[in-house]
Amino acid sequence: MEIAFTLNGEKVQVEVPAHWTLLRLLREKLGLTGTKEGCGIGECGTCTVLLEGVPVNSCLVMAPKVEGKRVDTVEGLGTKDSLHPLQKSFIDHGAVQCGFCTPGILMSSKALLDRNPTPTREEVQEAITGHLCRCTGYLQIIEAVEGVSKQVKG
Amino acid sequence: MIPPFEYQSPGTLNEACRLLGEWGPKGKIIAGGTDLVISLRKGESQPQILIDVTRILELRRIEDAGEKICIGAAVTHGEIVSSKLIRQYGQVLSDAASWVGSPQIRNLGTIGGNIVNASPAADTLPALMVLDATARVLSPGAEKEVPLSDLFRGPYQSSLNPDELLVQIAFLKLSSDFRTGFVRLARRAAMAISRMSVAVVLRMSQGEDRIDEVRISAGAVMPTPHRMSEAESILKGKTLDEGTMKKAAQCISGTMARWSGVRPSTAYKAPVVEALFLRCMRQALENSP
Repeated sequence: MEIAFTLNGEKVQVEVPAHWTLLRLLREKLGLTGTKEGCGIGECGTCTVLLEGVPVNSCLVMAPKVEGKRVDTVEGLGTKDSLHPLQKSFIDHGAVQCGFCTPGILMSSKALLDRNPTPTREEVQEAITGHLCRCTGYLQIIEAVEGVSKQVKG
Repeated sequence: MIPPFEYQSPGTLNEACRLLGEWGPKGKIIAGGTDLVISLRKGESQPQILIDVTRILELRRIEDAGEKICIGAAVTHGEIVSSKLIRQYGQVLSDAASWVGSPQIRNLGTIGGNIVNASPAADTLPALMVLDATARVLSPGAEKEVPLSDLFRGPYQSSLNPDELLVQIAFLKLSSDFRTGFVRLARRAAMAISRMSVAVVLRMSQGEDRIDEVRISAGAVMPTPHRMSEAESILKGKTLDEGTMKKAAQCISGTMARWSGVRPSTAYKAPVVEALFLRCMRQALENSP
């Protein structure tokens, strides 16, 4: 079936089988492999994208569900030459080790900061509860998100 | 991999009903997909068509209907958590919904989906039971309003027919003199499925010394959601002394064993559900009315 939606700010129209997930559509048809597949059952959060501005597990979203909607992936966050403040902060704080969980956590962190530019530590922790990271122990990730909110506070 | 099927997103209840009538058991209703997509992937569910009900506006609203609060079946857990109306008139449901899965799951999963999936461990069900919730169900040419408890046949089995659609959940507003509590036990705070949960709605008498009204329900200890009516009648009209509370707690673990049978886990579960009940009552009492 044909679906049309807004992907990283640009309108796209694409032919996709109805039984494909949004994750599969992004990776296999649209070539956006920044979004990772981990568990495939909504447990690990690596496939997190923003749907209408809120984080969702793209492995649990059937592609036709995004018809007419707004989807944002890590590819829309920043570019190599101009990193998003969160991406810069993740690098500065050593919050990226193997990097597999990073795109998903960046998207949940972006959704948090868009809604609440100066979150408490508890709010940062709550925002990333749906993500597993087996490298960092989470502390550097939390500090990286707080680093961006400190810039806002000045 | 998920095997092929058709996908339709009806924009109206009439259209959804027509599709349900046409496809019957060959179709499956999808809302958030947080349970269904997993079972599609495992091959446990093999529908020929998915009927996506999340574009039907009536199913997406939280409404103040005078005496009642009405929640569309496709309202997400995230929307319930951030609803001021539900926090004000049924806080126990906000609290329960805030425990569901993760933020990403709460942004997808819906209250109607949580109900019809009928998991004994579903977090919102004990809360809806103590709110005395009712459900509006639509089928081709018919509509009915039933107590929520009528929607369950057994663990993971709803009593709805394939052509029936859960449209709305409603509960009477709790007046401001009610207090509520919700506690749960799980391996960790986020993502983990409840091992056990307890929900309480409570109103004390004018002098704050006797229990005027109390409703109790426990999750993940019974095959289907139930109120703990025997324990409720032990507490009603009594003062909150230690002896009465203990008697009610033991009544709850007794009810659990009677309904679920005595299993190897009962020796663990019985004292834990008693402790959770006491903790839940304490939480409700600390919540100022």
